[in-house]
Amino acid sequence: MKYALLIYGDDSEWIDLPPEEKAALRAEEMPQWVTLFEELGKADPSVAGYELNNRLTAKVVKVRDSEQLVTDGPFAETKEVLGGVFLIELPDLDEAIRIASLVPAARTGSVEIRPLVE
Amino acid sequence: MALIYADERAWESFSDEDREVAYAQYRAFADDARAAGVMAGGDELGSTRDATTVRVRDGETLVTDGPYAEVKEALGGYFVLECDTVEEATRWAARIPGAGHGAVEVRPVYVDPAEVQL
Repeated sequence: MKYALLIYGDDSEWIDLPPEEKAALRAEEMPQWVTLFEELGKADPSVAGYELNNRLTAKVVKVRDSEQLVTDGPFAETKEVLGGVFLIELPDLDEAIRIASLVPAARTGSVEIRPLVE
Repeated sequence: MALIYADERAWESFSDEDREVAYAQYRAFADDARAAGVMAGGDELGSTRDATTVRVRDGETLVTDGPYAEVKEALGGYFVLECDTVEEATRWAARIPGAGHGAVEVRPVYVDPAEVQL
């Protein structure tokens, strides 16, 4: 089964951090990400991952009566927003849960597991 | 990344014929985007009824059934579009069938050349 691991986190504090603090935090978390990437690669060598830019960069597009409406996003007005996605082939949900629990952001935010339609 | 949010109940109420029409519209969009050289991937997500959410707090993995957020219009799929500008991305997003009844959130993918590659 192919799964999407949707990583939700509160990026509101992150947005305002100076670049050097962001770099330091990234470096601090990096060993955990490396462990995760190793596990992802072992489980499915063709795993794909995307980190999304913060919520301030989001646009929402709707088309109503043939008219294109573009507003600032994100679409969902929640405290935690989608910050990244992994797409991975895994044997079952238990393995998806194990991998999801290795995502560093699961410690402060949430990881939603969704099967893909194949 | 173009994140497609739509009313899942409407989709579930669709007849097979309605779904075939919708899939044909998505295939037409994907063909156009591929022909223009902007299509870099995409998937349809299964229903949020099949979602599982994972959090880790104090070293303990907490697993709950259901999506991260109960919303009327849920993330139902995505496309990855290679565009030079946000304007180009929003133009393509407006052509995604879901923009006509739901909403498409456009978020740039964060690229850090120093980061570990999957």
